[in-house]
Amino acid sequence: MRNLIPFLAATFVSVAANAGTIEMKVNGLVCGFCAQGIEKTLRKNPATADVFVSLENRLVAVATREGQDISDDKLREALTASGYDVKAIERTNTPLQTLRERAGGRPK
Amino acid sequence: MNRLWCALRALSGMAVALPLVAQGKPIAFANGTTVMAEYGAGTMRELQVFYAPRYFLSAGFGHIALDSDIDGRSRDVTYARINYLMKRWNLESAQANIFTWGSLGRATTGEDTQGHLAWNAGGQLDYETRRIYASLKTDYYGASAFSHRIDTLQLGVAPYKHDFATLATWCVVQARRYTGEIHRGTEVAFLLRLFRRGAWVEAGPTTDGHIQAMFMFNF
Repeated sequence: MRNLIPFLAATFVSVAANAGTIEMKVNGLVCGFCAQGIEKTLRKNPATADVFVSLENRLVAVATREGQDISDDKLREALTASGYDVKAIERTNTPLQTLRERAGGRPK
Repeated sequence: MNRLWCALRALSGMAVALPLVAQGKPIAFANGTTVMAEYGAGTMRELQVFYAPRYFLSAGFGHIALDSDIDGRSRDVTYARINYLMKRWNLESAQANIFTWGSLGRATTGEDTQGHLAWNAGGQLDYETRRIYASLKTDYYGASAFSHRIDTLQLGVAPYKHDFATLATWCVVQARRYTGEIHRGTEVAFLLRLFRRGAWVEAGPTTDGHIQAMFMFNF
């Protein structure tokens, strides 16, 4: 039990530091043609591993590289530069593939 | 059918009365390039290339050629243009925009190919959800030899909701009026609009049997 507590604590800290997926609720996401800039802008960030955009769910999700994160300010800046408004940002462990399947999108 | 024509006439009247109109957006996204080409039912042809350093600003060049079906004269304007997004509303399930632009360039006519200074100012108002689209656009051109305005109204319905990576399909009715002795009456076109990723194509017939088409690419 004594060994388990530090292990669980370390695991929790690790997950908190590297959530893996950042999910953003975005307003104004109605046109796939116009939203191309979101994907292009986010992919330029060196911490970005993959990007998924769902108009149906008003969702922009970013998978970050191992051990890396993108600050909320940088995320809001990227979405604003693309012409959109971020309403909420949440860090999760949900793989982008799962988000794609939930949205009915095709795997990349 | 009579009601439909009345509605179209009323809407085309609005296009003339209101100082704003819309179609493809003149600004793509920050660090994005937009290339647009339009064939306007035998009356108008236009090519534009814009680069946007910011999401609300783009600059570039264009050329518009007009052939009057009233007196047969042609007008050509080659211009440098700045587009500005004045206001954007990002709503939960909709987006609306007001764009404006201004140009300076060189104009020639069929009988005078020497070239004169020309200027242009225009604006666009649009509103869209994933199922409906409406835009209103006005474009004024002035030169020593001529002046004219082109007003365009578009109303569109999507048969299904497209998503980011899937093909979007829209059925669009376009009403367009020209001033300056270019075309009498209202040109009405029924367009099929398709886009996916950064490629946009729309085309369809006008009620007087001409082809209206537009291609646009963002990259």
